[in-house]
Amino acid sequence: MSDSQVIKFSLLVTGNPASDQSAATALQFCEAALATGHHISGVFFYLDGVLTASHLIKPASDEVNLPDRWTALATQHNFPLEVCVSASLRRGIVNETEAKQLDLQQYNLKAPFVLSGLGQLAELSASCDRLIQF
Amino acid sequence: MEKKVGIVNRQAPHGRSDAREALDLTLALSAYNESLSVFFIGDGVYQLLKKHQADVILQKDFQPMLKMFDLYDVEQVYVCATSLQQRNISVEQLVIKTELLSTEEIKQRLAEQDQLMSF
Repeated sequence: MSDSQVIKFSLLVTGNPASDQSAATALQFCEAALATGHHISGVFFYLDGVLTASHLIKPASDEVNLPDRWTALATQHNFPLEVCVSASLRRGIVNETEAKQLDLQQYNLKAPFVLSGLGQLAELSASCDRLIQF
Repeated sequence: MEKKVGIVNRQAPHGRSDAREALDLTLALSAYNESLSVFFIGDGVYQLLKKHQADVILQKDFQPMLKMFDLYDVEQVYVCATSLQQRNISVEQLVIKTELLSTEEIKQRLAEQDQLMSF
């Protein structure tokens, strides 16, 4: 595929990984886009989508583990997994820094997901050819 | 050129957090993008209806934040006239000033956007 045909996608994922199909479809979209030579600028998780970033998600062994799949894909293709910090704290997704600041005993953010602000969504929106919401 | 980004609100204000978090998103994006358009369609128009008592159902009253559209220079705020009419809501009952658009006009404005986010 020539460079001119490569599309830069950014994704906005708002679906709950345990209960919304859209969370799984987002991953499939990413895999398909990358498999056909397109580029993923980054994925921004918002609303219940932020739950995807939990290290504590452990479905039964015959079910798909979405956080693991995202981690593998993002690591292999080197794109960021950005998670809205305010939506996260509301839903119990916390990283080490926030845990210290907020005096919480635990944290559960899975690497390479990172907590970031909505400004990152603005950046992903500005830098891509297409923004796709799931 | 800056992308035209449309934020579409289609859900009732409470029951799910979509409306409230879409508003957070809108105000945050307005700091980075001056070409935002905000749409209220279907049950989304209830978000604008005056006199919510969110505290009664243990929710945050986010309606005062709608008034920050002005302050944040979010000027393109559109409401579907048909949706208002179907719900028997008049413009006077809305908390902020908006532009009323027909279904056709809404379709046209949506088509003009480079990106849409829908809640």
